[in-house]
Amino acid sequence: MAATPNPTPVEIFESGDSALRVVASSADTEANWSSVHSLAQWLETAGADGVHGAVPTYDSLLVEFDPGVTSARQVRAFVLLGLRQLEHTGAPARTPREFSVPVVYGGEYGPDLARVAEHEQLTVEEIISLHTAKSYVIRCLGAPAGSPMMDGPDFPLPVPRLKDPRLSVPAGAVAVAGRQAVIAPAVAPGGWCVIGQTPLTVLDAASEPLVPYLPGDLLTFRQIQPEEFADYEGRKLEAAR
Amino acid sequence: MSGSLIIQQPGNSVVTDLGRFRGPRFGLPVNGALDQFSARAANILAANADNAPLLEITALDFRMRATTDLLIAVTGAPLTLTVGGRECPQWEPVSVRAGETVAVRGITGGLRAYLAVHGSVEAPALLGSSAPDTVVGFGLRLSEDTELKTSRSVGPIRQPYFDLPLFRLGLTRPEYSSRAVIDVTDGPDVDEFGDTAELLFNTEYTVSARSNHIGLRLGGALPERQTSAEVLSRGVPVGAIEVPSREELLVLHRGRGVTAGYPVLAVVTSRSLDTLAQARPGHTITFRKTTVPEATAKHRAAIRELENLRSRVSTVFALLGIGKEPGWPELIPAAGS
Repeated sequence: MAATPNPTPVEIFESGDSALRVVASSADTEANWSSVHSLAQWLETAGADGVHGAVPTYDSLLVEFDPGVTSARQVRAFVLLGLRQLEHTGAPARTPREFSVPVVYGGEYGPDLARVAEHEQLTVEEIISLHTAKSYVIRCLGAPAGSPMMDGPDFPLPVPRLKDPRLSVPAGAVAVAGRQAVIAPAVAPGGWCVIGQTPLTVLDAASEPLVPYLPGDLLTFRQIQPEEFADYEGRKLEAAR
Repeated sequence: MSGSLIIQQPGNSVVTDLGRFRGPRFGLPVNGALDQFSARAANILAANADNAPLLEITALDFRMRATTDLLIAVTGAPLTLTVGGRECPQWEPVSVRAGETVAVRGITGGLRAYLAVHGSVEAPALLGSSAPDTVVGFGLRLSEDTELKTSRSVGPIRQPYFDLPLFRLGLTRPEYSSRAVIDVTDGPDVDEFGDTAELLFNTEYTVSARSNHIGLRLGGALPERQTSAEVLSRGVPVGAIEVPSREELLVLHRGRGVTAGYPVLAVVTSRSLDTLAQARPGHTITFRKTTVPEATAKHRAAIRELENLRSRVSTVFALLGIGKEPGWPELIPAAGS
């Protein structure tokens, strides 16, 4: 029950007749992220007629609703209520789970690894070692299909996107772009640099939830060899703890 | 008694519903029927729940054979509907006998038609919705010889007076035009476009052939972003208008990726998203500015109209015994007539 002494300032924008955009606008990016995710959690738990749900990302939250049942005005009041309650109670604490992801780097599994190394003026081994060094916070679930969006590895330079995006990137592709990192849960087009691939199944359309992680969970990558790929195939990504 | 039907000519058809409303929080688009009004109307005319699975038929001709007696309703783009070779009205319930072929031909004025079957059709669900998701690879796309089961079969309803239509439920049908006017509200990032934002309202746009359920691409004069600050990925609403390239305007529809990093210039209203669902490549689009309260009022007026339709349908169907025990073989002429 830690009261927040300085609540993060928030702005609410109309986004058509069926959605509102809520933006946390402090200078502290960590506080912004934390406040939009706590608010999303609160909206979900509290629930309101006609509110479909909330999509939190980094500093922003999209709240979607049915304008036949509720209205932008009512949903705005609901959001403000949530913000006031969170000011008093603080964000609900959830112990993050940890995921360990085996990755085959380079070769056919990571066609852009050498390119990324060259751009960063590092060796391939140094790139792999930086990519496996960090514990990543999953910031949000992005398009396509529940991708875990993470702050990138500690590379010296931001990674440029591909000039010609691939029409199809396989499921399990481990990719970086700008200052971000991601795993592709499903086959999709993509412009990020693919440095490796995990043999684990990330997205299981037959189970609920579709992906095993939530924003706030932690993820690490560990290198495996190409001949180990088949040993992991068909296994699902599961929390280590 | 359950029913069934077999697809003979699938054209481009899927089983869908109003959408996967719990999808976006997991990073999945809402998807579902692109023309929500027509989809709801079809289900209501077939005495189903608004959100029941139904067929969405896009652009191409479609044929199916009823293997039991069925009651169907077809809405959406203007087309020619025949049952056992007889021409039948759109936007009304239609009785189909076992063995008869239902054909949908000549979808020309718009792009998408909806075919609901009383008792709905069985389809797999993901997060509570049967709506196809092309990214996850989920959904029931129809092909030749696909058999669909319905939870009910309805005995044939015969009109005792030959030339009179069986039903006349009086729904105001949407207008379909090759020159659609689309209502939008200001987007949350409209200021980033400065004075060029006004171009949206002074330009005739042409629908590109590269448009689909994810978004419509429109050619014409493009507003231009006046800043170049990086935008963090954030949730974007269905209907968001973006300018991702120097070539086309992008209007996101129900298959849109949930997050993106482009500024949102304007947002299409719920009612106008139905109109856009029927826009064909080559059609002309102009935009008209409205406000959120006005857009909400229009949406609610349409919902009220559908609710009135539902009450008329329940009255008529109760008289016919549809939706209760099956087996009313025919209408009996009133005494003294």
